[in-house]
Amino acid sequence: MKRRTWLLGTAGVGALLVGWVALPQRSRLGLAAMMAAGEGDIALNGWIKILPDGSVVLAMPRSEMGQGVHTALPQLAAEELDVPLSRVRIEQAGWDSVYGNVAMLVGNLPFHPSEEEREREGGFGRVKAGRWMVGKVARELGLNATGGSSSVADAWDVVRLAAATARASLVGAASLQWRLPADELQVKEGVVSHPSGRSIGYGELAREAAATPPGSVQLKERKDWRVIGRPAPRLDVPAKVDGTAKFGLDVRLPGMLFAALRLAPVLGGAPGRVDAQSVLSMPGVRRVVTLPAYARSTAGVAVVADSFWQARQALQALDVDWLPGPNAKLDSQAIADTLRQAVEAREGYRFYESGNVERPLPTGAHTIEAWYSAPHLAHATLEPMNATARVQDGRVEVWAPTQVPQMCRAAAARVAGVPEDKVDLHVTLLGGGFGRRLEVDYVAQAVRVAMDVPGVPVQLIWPREEDMRHDFYRPMHVARLRGVLAGNGEPLGLQIKSAGDAISPRWMERGLPALSGPVDVPDKTASEGLFDQPYGFADQRIEHVFTHTGVPVGFWRSVGHSHNAFFMESFVDELAAAAGQDAVAFRRSLLKQSPRHRAVLDLAVERSGWGLRPLPPGRARGVALHESFGSVVAQVVEVSLEKGQPRVHRVVCAIDCGTVVNPQIVAQQMEGAVVFGLTAALHGRIDIRGGAVQQGNFPDYQMLTLASAPLVETYIVASERAPSGVGEPGVPPIAPAVASALFGLTGRRHRSLPIVV
Amino acid sequence: MELKVNGARLQVEADPAMPLLWVLRDLLQMTGTKFGCGIAACGACTVRIDGQAVRSCVMPVGSVAGKAIQTIEGLGNAGRPHPLQAAWIAEQVPQCGYCQSGMLMAAAALLERKPKPTDADIDEAMTNICRCGTYQRVRVAIKRAAGTKT
Repeated sequence: MKRRTWLLGTAGVGALLVGWVALPQRSRLGLAAMMAAGEGDIALNGWIKILPDGSVVLAMPRSEMGQGVHTALPQLAAEELDVPLSRVRIEQAGWDSVYGNVAMLVGNLPFHPSEEEREREGGFGRVKAGRWMVGKVARELGLNATGGSSSVADAWDVVRLAAATARASLVGAASLQWRLPADELQVKEGVVSHPSGRSIGYGELAREAAATPPGSVQLKERKDWRVIGRPAPRLDVPAKVDGTAKFGLDVRLPGMLFAALRLAPVLGGAPGRVDAQSVLSMPGVRRVVTLPAYARSTAGVAVVADSFWQARQALQALDVDWLPGPNAKLDSQAIADTLRQAVEAREGYRFYESGNVERPLPTGAHTIEAWYSAPHLAHATLEPMNATARVQDGRVEVWAPTQVPQMCRAAAARVAGVPEDKVDLHVTLLGGGFGRRLEVDYVAQAVRVAMDVPGVPVQLIWPREEDMRHDFYRPMHVARLRGVLAGNGEPLGLQIKSAGDAISPRWMERGLPALSGPVDVPDKTASEGLFDQPYGFADQRIEHVFTHTGVPVGFWRSVGHSHNAFFMESFVDELAAAAGQDAVAFRRSLLKQSPRHRAVLDLAVERSGWGLRPLPPGRARGVALHESFGSVVAQVVEVSLEKGQPRVHRVVCAIDCGTVVNPQIVAQQMEGAVVFGLTAALHGRIDIRGGAVQQGNFPDYQMLTLASAPLVETYIVASERAPSGVGEPGVPPIAPAVASALFGLTGRRHRSLPIVV
Repeated sequence: MELKVNGARLQVEADPAMPLLWVLRDLLQMTGTKFGCGIAACGACTVRIDGQAVRSCVMPVGSVAGKAIQTIEGLGNAGRPHPLQAAWIAEQVPQCGYCQSGMLMAAAALLERKPKPTDADIDEAMTNICRCGTYQRVRVAIKRAAGTKT
């Protein structure tokens, strides 16, 4: 008996160890039954299906919003299956937990890089324990979401393993059929062959492959890659140049109606008296629907008509008495004051502490202090919020451009009062996401409107003004930074205390109320890019004071990094100047323990001509370096003043994002991220007065246009690490790089965004 | 009223004040032309009227009856792409793609007016908003289509 217990115990430890590496991925392979069965299609697991013509269908749980995921994930499958990329198609994944995004949730844990490094070298601490636990919960939860620049990182092992497993079964089927050893067979472009001259396509093998165990599956070695790492053209591009690409707004169904919505002008407000009769006689108008506040956001009204224009006309004519609700006093300036007071007077949550920031200053040392701030921002996806819904006989069908299909399904079910399995949800292409489509308010509203016209599909469209005035905004943040320099300019200490609203708990309350707790856990997004900054200050204390201002806040491309990189890197620039050192040399001296960061910085610096090639008069360089979503990006900018306004001419961008799946998509993302970040740095601000957002459309929420867009050059650091983020990490460094260049031009520090010269 | 869209004569019943954008999208089911702002600020709804780039979200349909309307659906197709569409693919311009119909129509109008546009011409003509920031590729793709890419 004792011996038996001992054996079981040993086996248990063994399984646990295996579980660390192999089991999580294998447990996500899924079953063939998870893929939708088409005529003659043969699914080999939960991810890979073979069609009769030998082409491959990949289950696609991630949303395409411009970041190239509908090309990058098929590349992983094409590689391991040895088929041309053009032979891989995608199909919306089902609802099983194998499609959940584990990497996104694990990536949100507030561990410091030094802790991770220690555990990488050996040992078991809270990083591994935390990741294991959250990974396990994430796999159970199976939250299918596109965010946190995590799609490729999450798919990296599982999609390759699914494709390699499918390939092994296909080769195994050929081996059994021919009675030849599998290791003598080759695969090229989806055709299995033997040196004796026999050959057979995947399409003919699929049925037998489904009954053939894959045996031991090995992923390809790096040196054998043919698709991964190549600049393959995006699969979604042809449909995006001839108008055939289908976004949420392009859903067309027989007999459909259109709805326009107007929400209460004050955030959190509601309609009082609504004079529906006055508009029901207008041409094409069918219904006026009062919309309750979704998850404590803002209530409003919608008009349903034969066309959106008719609905909009009626909405403008509709007489509504608006009730302001509890937020009528919200005001941007007052919020800014509150945050500053919070830093001065309230205890912060300490995200990181090292050395002793309380130690007395050595002789000759001095402290430098600066306050930084960043405003609320709207996402302003070019495709306004919209969704199409049909409700009939206890069933709901929804078409939505969304980053969170499951959360949409749950919201639709809650609103319609049906079980989730009575909701069909079709994910369309997204005309931009940037985090706005991690929310489900517009889906809940579309379902609510559709309930009033049973059986009729209704497309609910937000006018641009509503989109801008009822966003879930990038929160306003302020930070006080203190640095200690020795008499010789050597940096000794860093203290940062920031304040601003938490995003994650508010998002959980709205979208996953069942998992939302009564107390906020410290939200990493508030301090990311500060507490985990890479510079080797001996004494550090990085803390954040969480506020609850009442403004609806959400994830905005690069999230906390979007402001924290500006705070941190601008301050490092100030310290370099105070130490009388070159901005690059100063950073390098603080990165002795961070060779990865230093290599990225060096690459950008070298390609930019920093310190070597002088610029024409009136032009200055600026630099910034920032890690986010597992990737490190450095940018060197060239800036001048034209008619008193900053003009960014050139951005040299270097990135280490681990193994690169598609370098051409990486370059696209860097270019786009620079424009996104520069738009915010030079123009972006949302002002709230009397509880209402003041900006309404593009003239007052200005966007960078072609004439003022810089030329971005992208250089990629060769790396064999697993892939890390690409969609967001290009955003954070641009604002501090531009501010640094402006300091070189004018001698003035810019400590608040947007930069006003 | 009768509209000439992409060379075809189409009958529509609409209030003459209804913007062309919504006639195309909601009455004619031609969804390639996009809605972005509704006030002619973003250019997602750009079509060509008698060759000129026009923002259809503020263009009353009554004022374009009888004129030659060209939308993205009429610019070219996968089999016979317009040189700009071929250039857009070669330069891998689109990201989310939502603004690209309007971008292409604005670029088509530019090239008809100025077959070899300078950078300044491109700056002046291409005022459409792309939230993904594809601008530098838009510029290069126009030059590729014009045969002036260096």
